[in-house]
Amino acid sequence: MITVRKIKVALFVDRVSNQWVVRDPDGDFWIIPSGEDGWQRREPFLFSEESELEAVPGHYLHMLRLPF
Amino acid sequence: MNAEQKRLDEARENKAPWKKWGPYLSERQWGTVREDYSEGGDAWNYFSHDQARSRAYRWGEDGLAGISDDQQKLCFALALWNGKDPILKERLFGLTNSESNHGEDVKEYYFYLDSTPTHSYMKYLYKYPQAAYPYSNLVETNRGRSRTEMEYELIDTGVFSDDRYFDVFVEYAKASPEDVLIQISIHNRGPEPAEIHALPTLWFRNDWSWQGHADRPSLQQLDGTVQAADAKLGTRYLYCDGDPRLLFTENETNMQRIFGVPNRTPYVKDGINNAVVHGQEGVVNPEKKGTKVAACYKLVVKPGECGIVRLRLSDVAPGAAGRFGSAFDTVLDARRAEADEFYKTITPAKLNSDEANVMRQALAGMLWSKQFYHYDVDKWLEERGSDPFKAKRKAAPRNDHWHHMYNGDVISMPDKWEYPWYAAWDLAFHVIALTLVDPDFGKQQLKLMLRERYMHPNGQIPAYEWNFGDVNPPVHAWSTIFTYALEKGQKGEGDKDWLKSCFQKLLLNFTWWVNRKDRSGRNVFEGGFLGLDNIGVFDRSAPLPTGGYLEQADGTAWMALYCENMLEIAAELALTDEDYADMALKFVEHFLWIASSMAHVGDDAGMWDEEDGFFYDVLRLPDGRAQRLKVRSMVGLLPLCAATVFTGEVLTKYPELQARLRHFLAARPEVSAAIHDPVKTGVAGRHLASILDETKLRRVLEKMLDENEFLSPYGIRSLSRYHAEHPYVFQTGGQEFRVAYLPAESDTGMFGGNSNWRGPIWMPVNALIIRALLQYYAYYGNEFTVECPTGSGNKMNLYQVADEIGRRLTRMFLRDKDGGRPVYGGAEKFQRDPHWRDCLMFYEYFHGDNGAGLGASHQTGWTGVVARIMHVFATTSPEALLEGGKRGYHKTVAPVEKKPRRKEVAA
Repeated sequence: MITVRKIKVALFVDRVSNQWVVRDPDGDFWIIPSGEDGWQRREPFLFSEESELEAVPGHYLHMLRLPF
Repeated sequence: MNAEQKRLDEARENKAPWKKWGPYLSERQWGTVREDYSEGGDAWNYFSHDQARSRAYRWGEDGLAGISDDQQKLCFALALWNGKDPILKERLFGLTNSESNHGEDVKEYYFYLDSTPTHSYMKYLYKYPQAAYPYSNLVETNRGRSRTEMEYELIDTGVFSDDRYFDVFVEYAKASPEDVLIQISIHNRGPEPAEIHALPTLWFRNDWSWQGHADRPSLQQLDGTVQAADAKLGTRYLYCDGDPRLLFTENETNMQRIFGVPNRTPYVKDGINNAVVHGQEGVVNPEKKGTKVAACYKLVVKPGECGIVRLRLSDVAPGAAGRFGSAFDTVLDARRAEADEFYKTITPAKLNSDEANVMRQALAGMLWSKQFYHYDVDKWLEERGSDPFKAKRKAAPRNDHWHHMYNGDVISMPDKWEYPWYAAWDLAFHVIALTLVDPDFGKQQLKLMLRERYMHPNGQIPAYEWNFGDVNPPVHAWSTIFTYALEKGQKGEGDKDWLKSCFQKLLLNFTWWVNRKDRSGRNVFEGGFLGLDNIGVFDRSAPLPTGGYLEQADGTAWMALYCENMLEIAAELALTDEDYADMALKFVEHFLWIASSMAHVGDDAGMWDEEDGFFYDVLRLPDGRAQRLKVRSMVGLLPLCAATVFTGEVLTKYPELQARLRHFLAARPEVSAAIHDPVKTGVAGRHLASILDETKLRRVLEKMLDENEFLSPYGIRSLSRYHAEHPYVFQTGGQEFRVAYLPAESDTGMFGGNSNWRGPIWMPVNALIIRALLQYYAYYGNEFTVECPTGSGNKMNLYQVADEIGRRLTRMFLRDKDGGRPVYGGAEKFQRDPHWRDCLMFYEYFHGDNGAGLGASHQTGWTGVVARIMHVFATTSPEALLEGGKRGYHKTVAPVEKKPRRKEVAA
């Protein structure tokens, strides 16, 4: 039987653009603007050579009020 | 019964929650494992002191001289600013493990002066320099020093020159369980008037940001009062005497400063700091609400004078008059007097005022070292992306197999700055002292470690958060039976239900030891470093450079003692419950197997070295060869500690057990051939379980009591002084391993380099030696004498030897004939200044030659055991011990008259 491994949601800050970046359960990366409805206003995060993602502890995820 | 004892009774009977508020706030939450979310587990550098003022904690809080409720919802502590520091003094500063030449070290002077067990009265002293605190000087100078140099201390920076500092006393007095009076007395010890900002701070621990629920607590100003509301805690009020400005912010991370992303709100954790120190606008909430608030008092204190700040944290709503003024004085004075009254009943009448002061501050330190410890390991692992139930998971750098753990309790800490996490074997020693003032707390602490939220499903007792899976000496059963017997002696009956439930869990732990740490099944044990950090030739927790493995004299001795303690418990329970009789016999036999393995003399290399008359670890090499590692250390003295007297009551009650034991001994004569004969009776028909027979005992004592070996003027050294001139050297694979006598700090980085078992005096193992000597005395009586010190011609029985060691240990803290205290070594200010010299610090360990304090400065934890040692020798007598055996001490309800010591007679 083939099982699909669920990707862990993870939170980062991009030290170049100083923005939150979330990896969602599908493995996609999103920029989350500050504010109450950040997830609704999300934009795809595109990796570049300058990108500098720093992991943020998982407990900060709740503060962004994400739907997962 | 005095007022404090009534409060203890009311707390026990759940009539009044006198212990709900206490000093449960840590003194360092930053740099801990539980706050560490780094990839590699670099706890010290991940969450730094510099971040602490700006970054909300996940699992706990910290502060200066602080208190909280027992679930740490609401916290109160003091912040200070002298107008020169670059940041508010909200928490104690110290160096991280890598910043200092001898590992982590707090660089502040603070003292736990007093506390009752319900915390109805507490007093703390913090010495705050008037000049700017030398943060970078301390870091840079220490970083530049080598391991062979002394640490660079705060006093060395000159910041206390001309006495330009404030003595800040913080006192707490409870008018009721939920009405806490707070008095802050600020004395200017300097020559000129000096300004100081006192900022008593109230805040909620942040548990709303991490869980996505809406139960956010709130603080808001109501007239001159702060109302604190929390869904679970209820409503409390902080009343501030005078009319201080109230600054509100949120206990939330300053995202901009820590992560570089915009904040959700302008009011973040460091808002008050930025408003006061930098005069920033818009960083505190003008609507006077938030989750963190400080009352700002600005004082100018003249030389030799004192400024006072008063507050009251209470569940009583505004309206009632007389919160301060004479009503406040009356309660504060009453609690101080009741604390005196309580300690008068605890302190033996034979102790002089200096001794009584040492004992009281030792106990105060132990009580101040309680901390709310919160760590949900499963949640923590999940937040790190490590799910224990997934096959392809990301392993955490530590504690990966402890996902069952949920800790959220008030626990006795070794040191709330250097070791702000529980350590299981330390805790067992803490209880030995804590039961002098609060037996209920001691029992609760022992039971806590055995609960399913702590003990591993496999039976292992968690060591400490750096690695719960480390192996510490199994002293839990010893502390358990000691605590039980103490209560039985004092009340006439013991708590058998508690003892039974502890015994069941201890059985799991005992079995874990037997199945995991006896590699060959020959009743000889390993265990790794076993709490004695750098004592071995090699790092005993790492793979050996030679290959093979160690058969450890200490590990095996600990297990022999564990058997004795389990036998004591089983025998006690068997007196009223036949089900335990079989277990008693099981532990007799198990003790005999272990003891005989240890003392076995044969063709093979055993731990006992007949030529030296000492026990050593045995190195078993992969090719089958074996050799003793001849380091004369505490490792070889621990077999002496595995000694317990028994009355044989259980054998009398169950004759069939006696028959089975006789049959076992007859069938296996080799088991008891090389150890003390368990059948042979001593004083009052007692039996003795001991690895050492009389001959071996005398030979080990000869070394232990030799001032050129173990006996220092201040107790028993952890390594023989013999190795000063004769280092032990072991060569393998082109490498040289050397163990030399180092009476002070460690000169290597082994185990972080912040402790040293190669010479210094450690209180807990000295306490075990004293215990063992009293056991031997109860068996051998006055006829058994030895030279003490060896070669002196002075003969002593073993009670006198124990007393002598106790006196030497106590002497470290007492004023000597010149008025100095050995514990403070060459620190002149501590020795001579009237504002310093009677304030005591109970260090982690002590210089092997001069008794100066070393290591963690506030490890009142197990060093607080000195209070029990003082109590033992002031309340019992050799006659009582000979007559009552172990009960000779436990039965002492009130202090008894004691014969004067030799010196007193001579004087």
